[in-house]
Amino acid sequence: ILQGETALAFYKAKNPTDKPIIGISTYNVIPFEAGQYFNKIQCFCFEEQRLNPQEEVDMPVFFYIDPEFVEDPKMAKVDLITLSYTFFEAKEGQKLPLPGYQ
Amino acid sequence: MSTAMNFSTKTFKPRPPDKGAFPLDHFGECSAFKERFMECLRDSGYESSACRQSAMAYLECRMDRQTVLCKMLLFSCFQLRQLMANEPLEKLGFKDLIDEKSEAKPEK
Repeated sequence: ILQGETALAFYKAKNPTDKPIIGISTYNVIPFEAGQYFNKIQCFCFEEQRLNPQEEVDMPVFFYIDPEFVEDPKMAKVDLITLSYTFFEAKEGQKLPLPGYQ
Repeated sequence: MSTAMNFSTKTFKPRPPDKGAFPLDHFGECSAFKERFMECLRDSGYESSACRQSAMAYLECRMDRQTVLCKMLLFSCFQLRQLMANEPLEKLGFKDLIDEKSEAKPEK
């Protein structure tokens, strides 16, 4: 992926149970310092998503890497950035510490 | 977390997506476009730049969902929702691909 160029990535989630699950996901970027250059235009995260029993869905992320990434000397040796999501069941009344979203 | 020594670097803050969340494509309405994109990635050795046309097609599918279904089904469209808010593709980083398309058109 080129810095500044928009890109699409897909994750897949499956609900293997026989009950609907309401889930919510948060993300993580490795290496940590690369996270500041990772810009999400749109994704499936930070909002509750419902998965029906046995349902499997594609979960897209539309993003770009800030062009300033290539100017940061600390990033010179970074040629692999890993984006991971943790999708967990939303519990009633529980609020994620969302970063000013909504 | 930043100290005076780090005045030239940004501090990391987790950020929500610029345009919010994608609704889930429960009915797989755009799965075919997604498969084409994934096929392109596999064929190109996972070179994202090589598959931008397919990525654009996928996003266009998401934006089109409401319009197409309303026309096909001819019933109340209140239940239907877009899988992605309409946005000019130029604003989603595809300006160069759109310009190429409009340059190619006069030749037809």
